Amino acid sequence: MSSEPSKARTAGDVSTALFEKSAKIYPREVHGLFAWLRTSAVVLLLGLFYIVCWIPWDGRQAVLFDLPARKFYIFGWTLWPQDFIYLTFMLMLAAFALFFFTTIAGRLFCGYACPQTVWTELFLAIERKVEGNRSRQMKLDQAPMSARKFRIKATKHAIWIALSLYTGFTFVAYFVPAGELARSLVHFEAGPWATFWTLFYGFATYGNAGFMREQVCKYMCPYARFQSAMFDRDTLIISYDEERGEPRGSRKAGTDYRAAGLGDCINCTMCVQVCPTGIDIRDGLQYECIGCSACIDVCDDVMQKMDYPKGLIRYTTQNAVDGKPTHILRPRVIIYGLILMTLTGLFIYSLAQRKPVELDVIRDRNQLYRETLGKIENVYTLKIINMDNHAHSYELSVDGIPNVEFILDTPRIDVDAGSVKNVPVRLRADEADLAGRSTPIEFSIEASDAAELRVTEDAKFLGPLR
Amino acid sequence: MPLIEKVRHMPVPQRIGAVLWISFLMAIVATGVFFSALDPLALQYCVTFPEVSRMGAYTIGFLLFWLLTASSALFAVLFVYPTKND
Repeated sequence: MSSEPSKARTAGDVSTALFEKSAKIYPREVHGLFAWLRTSAVVLLLGLFYIVCWIPWDGRQAVLFDLPARKFYIFGWTLWPQDFIYLTFMLMLAAFALFFFTTIAGRLFCGYACPQTVWTELFLAIERKVEGNRSRQMKLDQAPMSARKFRIKATKHAIWIALSLYTGFTFVAYFVPAGELARSLVHFEAGPWATFWTLFYGFATYGNAGFMREQVCKYMCPYARFQSAMFDRDTLIISYDEERGEPRGSRKAGTDYRAAGLGDCINCTMCVQVCPTGIDIRDGLQYECIGCSACIDVCDDVMQKMDYPKGLIRYTTQNAVDGKPTHILRPRVIIYGLILMTLTGLFIYSLAQRKPVELDVIRDRNQLYRETLGKIENVYTLKIINMDNHAHSYELSVDGIPNVEFILDTPRIDVDAGSVKNVPVRLRADEADLAGRSTPIEFSIEASDAAELRVTEDAKFLGPLR
Repeated sequence: MPLIEKVRHMPVPQRIGAVLWISFLMAIVATGVFFSALDPLALQYCVTFPEVSRMGAYTIGFLLFWLLTASSALFAVLFVYPTKND
């Protein structure tokens, strides 16, 4: 985060430094409380992703964004394009939840829940299983190509590619029913679009989790850039206790290092070796830090071995580091919290108020009105959308003109579950009852078996000039 | 280091990211909004359009949106580069 212009460096130095090919990072494996939490998050989130598309519900897939049919199924709900507002709501909720939690706890999302982190963890685990630990991996990469190296690398990539393809398949299975998609892919009969998206998502997974890794966080992630705007001095950060650790230096176990003028940091560089973004946490807060807390786990281990108190690297706040009190409740937390609560309330209210029926009134375009049997007649088409999971029979009523009569082709309007019906209707009124050239009227439909399924739509009744 | 120097020395993944990634996200948003308002099958009645399924129309629509947003980002990145005279 420091952007101090260094006067000593010449432009030439800077460019060579910046053009350096970024070295591959080999994060060392960590064990500990936070590593366990992260692994649990990986198992839970990836588990949900890979399993939920196979859960059945009422004879269909429980979560299916059926794009071909323009309907979204989420357990008991069926959402139509008309319900786009709920998607907007959900995205706003997600954004404000992110702001809220970032302000309080820093980059929790990055370290534990971001798909980039989660899939990278999985790919790293596979790499470790196949190639061995950090030093073995480095040795293998430095060694010249041999039959053994080729075999190991081929195995790793084969597993990665298989997993990526399955990930791509799972992604598409949220848009095309999973069973159908699996059968068609196995028989090479899948449509071109489904195949394209399976390969696209699979390729993105392979590239992002296998190769790009921390580069995605450093260069491509918009959140990494603007998260500092949500940070303040009371936000939870991972920090090295400089006062306690410095001056760092190696020492023999059991010696009186304080007498030798040393701090608690034994300079073992474990915190650098475990870091997935390859930074040194001891240099202070850096934007590359994704808050994964691997350095906390490994440093606590070292401290325990040295018989020093834990927490040389720990979750803390800038205020705590500076010896000032930390406040959890502060204006921005309260404001984000209030916005989040209001949005959640509105979301739940509007979802509870949602009526699974919609009415559109379309005027006949061919003629404004006609005179029949001494009355004025207007023709409309009612478009009734039954978004419910059951069929309904609707009754029509028209208000706005005294003694207006309506003529339907069928006495009842039956609409099947999840379908749209166009119903032509003619209205007849006495010219004397009209308010003028254009009279506002209201069409209402009400389900005969459920009075709460009632919607009203405005329209206009046209008559002759008077 | 001045901003313009930083841009000139942007690492390649960062440049690719600047052009392809944010435009990808924006294309998803645009596709979502566009196709929730308009049914591609209904569009086919109004305009001459090769006959494709809805999935096909969504995919083509998304790729076109991405092309549009990515080319806009590409020009933005190009124009941030100083000309030789600067």
